[in-house]
Amino acid sequence: MRKYLYIYKSTLIENLSYIPNILFGFINFGVMMFIFLNLWQYMYSDGGQVISGYTIEEMIWYVLIAEILWFGTRNKNLTRQISQDIKSGNIAYNINKPYNYIFYIICKHLGDITIKFIAFIIVGAAIGNLFVGPIKGFSLTNLPFIAITILLGVLINSILRILISIISFWIEDSTPFHWLYDKLILVIGTIFPIDIFPEFIRPILQFTPIFVVTYGPTKLIIDFSMQRFIEVVIAQIIYLIISFSLTIILYERGVKKSNVNGG
Amino acid sequence: MKGVLKNQMLTAVKNQIKVIVLSLKYNIMRQMINKVTFLSNIIFMILNDASFIVQWAVLFSIRDVIGGYTLKEVLLIWGIAANTFAISHLLFYKTYEMPDLIINGKLDSFLVQPKNVFLSVITSDTSISAIGDLIYAYICLIIYGFSIKNFILFTLFSITGAIILTSVVSIAGSLCFWITKGDILADSLTNIMINFATYPGTIFKGVVKIILYTIIPVGIANYMPVDVIINFNAIKFLYIIAFTIFITALAFVIFYKGLKRYSSANLMGAKL
Repeated sequence: MRKYLYIYKSTLIENLSYIPNILFGFINFGVMMFIFLNLWQYMYSDGGQVISGYTIEEMIWYVLIAEILWFGTRNKNLTRQISQDIKSGNIAYNINKPYNYIFYIICKHLGDITIKFIAFIIVGAAIGNLFVGPIKGFSLTNLPFIAITILLGVLINSILRILISIISFWIEDSTPFHWLYDKLILVIGTIFPIDIFPEFIRPILQFTPIFVVTYGPTKLIIDFSMQRFIEVVIAQIIYLIISFSLTIILYERGVKKSNVNGG
Repeated sequence: MKGVLKNQMLTAVKNQIKVIVLSLKYNIMRQMINKVTFLSNIIFMILNDASFIVQWAVLFSIRDVIGGYTLKEVLLIWGIAANTFAISHLLFYKTYEMPDLIINGKLDSFLVQPKNVFLSVITSDTSISAIGDLIYAYICLIIYGFSIKNFILFTLFSITGAIILTSVVSIAGSLCFWITKGDILADSLTNIMINFATYPGTIFKGVVKIILYTIIPVGIANYMPVDVIINFNAIKFLYIIAFTIFITALAFVIFYKGLKRYSSANLMGAKL
């Protein structure tokens, strides 16, 4: 366990030297938020004060928080490095190291995103309070529960990304699968809440990663209830166990299948 | 004398176009070596683009008209945006890697080629998934309403849009000749161009609107062409063409100004 903590810590320290890169990352985040702010202001300008149970303030906060979860945890290393390692044969150097490659990638990823994620939370909260005002009914006492769901969501998202990247053992380039996963989360789970979809689709969407990665934690921040917290956490634990087991199984099968020449 | 000069210029342009077409052909052939990856890239890109229909279907279930556009017209916006992006990524993909070439001193092999350096650089790679964008773009046009006039205008504006997008990305990339961290700025500018291109321009007001028609010319690359296809306007048409010529010339000038500051990294590498 200590070696993984060391990997996490060293990546975190390494990332401290890339603070300007994080600051530039806010440009994209800011642009996306600006577009959605304009879009939702336009959508609410027709006198319809509540859309699918959301006021304009709640809707903008929803998009803002979901975007923080999305932009703040994005990491090119996670989507590209594994594919590159497999494609180039570099994976051979990692397999024989005294650590598990999957755990190594998870720790490295978490080390990569920690500072960025905290920075996004601070900037996002500032933008939200400045343009929309504080979230109604938000209480700091709920924060520990919300933090648990956010951490689990980030972890599940990382594992699902790794799971997709591992496909490279079979089809060389897993990037197209990442596009689809990206769009599933972004279009259905980030731009607007699940509640905006027709009633018959909602139960299906609750079984998708959207519920455990973005919708669940975000909804808890906007409208907390202990029952919802329990629902989200249970779903997250089930997702975590299944996705992690699947990742390990596929990785081991992929390693057995891989054939690396020379070096 | 004037006639000879004109002929020489025409031959040079013809040769350059021939090189671009050959470059595209060989880039595609190289990527086709792995057929599964080749096809999955194209098919998944179509699905990737199509996913946004869900977003707009939901938004249009709330309001019938958004920013003066119906769902069909928003699909036209998407079509132009996808085709602009596709042509730029098919023909000029290396433009998006220009910061890396400049910062890491990888331009050497282009400097010794007997063709235009700028064009040699930007046409030296192709993004295969862009074929998916191209197919999706024409599906959008068919849904909007296919006619010969729409097809010609759509294709022409996709080309001008692609040239504008490539020029902006190239200008931003060329800044790396002067600024070390220019790569992040270039990346951000590219993303801004692409993100704004897929939303109706009419939802943006004030200073932002001015910026979208000047510094970040999404308005001229995407919004204005959509308006001209819906309601033809000769002045707007000529303005788009004139701006395309202007920004292309600007991209050339800035690249060559910057190239004078370029220093090689003596990097050894094979250019396939």
